[in-house]
Amino acid sequence: MPIIVNLDVMMAKRKISLNELSTRVDLTLSNLSILKTGKAKAVRFSTLEAICKALDCQPGDILEFVEDE
Amino acid sequence: MSKRDNLIFKGLHIIAWIIFVALCIEAGALLFNFIFSIFKPEVVKNLYQKLDLSEMYQFNQGIFYGIYSFILFIAVLKAYLFYLVILLLSKMDLSKPFSSYVSTKITNISYLTLSVGLISYIAQQVVKSLEHYGLVSEQLNPFWADSQAYILMSAVIYVIATIFSRGVEIQNENDLTV
Repeated sequence: MPIIVNLDVMMAKRKISLNELSTRVDLTLSNLSILKTGKAKAVRFSTLEAICKALDCQPGDILEFVEDE
Repeated sequence: MSKRDNLIFKGLHIIAWIIFVALCIEAGALLFNFIFSIFKPEVVKNLYQKLDLSEMYQFNQGIFYGIYSFILFIAVLKAYLFYLVILLLSKMDLSKPFSSYVSTKITNISYLTLSVGLISYIAQQVVKSLEHYGLVSEQLNPFWADSQAYILMSAVIYVIATIFSRGVEIQNENDLTV
């Protein structure tokens, strides 16, 4: 998929674990894992808002568009 | 899911089992008759449900075995159809019905129903054409009387199967929405 999720990069930059992020954004670990591994088909604005708030970043820091070869 | 739906589903499951057992008995009896008629041609006078095909047997053995194969094949297909219905009813989770298993089973049921309908219709036409040779076929009518109904039913089931496959896609998308 041309949309890449850079959640792991941002988590590493902010030195935050998946468990901690899960508690902060009120999402289950499995759902966060789906997002982190790029298996997600869609992201709710509310989820994106919570993640951006928790990681103190912009949506563009988490999502990236890379054209398919 | 309401209690009433649950009860209706259980009822349907029981009815499907009863029909399946009845169709298995019919297919088994027809198969037994078929094998028996090969070794002992006298029994063609009194086949399953007092079916008398002795006239056809005397006219041409090839026609007799051909028509009887149609009857047997339709009976086996009907039994298999209800076996699929039982599988579907036993594995279907009404609280979360849109799964790829259910979708595949419904599609298979629609193809099988269409096969039963088409084969019944072909058999009906073949037997009708034999009337020109003076072979009376009224006794055979109950075996393929509902061919058009099966074809129509297959179309309806196919529409349901298509809706289900779209439902599975939406369900997957919903499951993968974070």
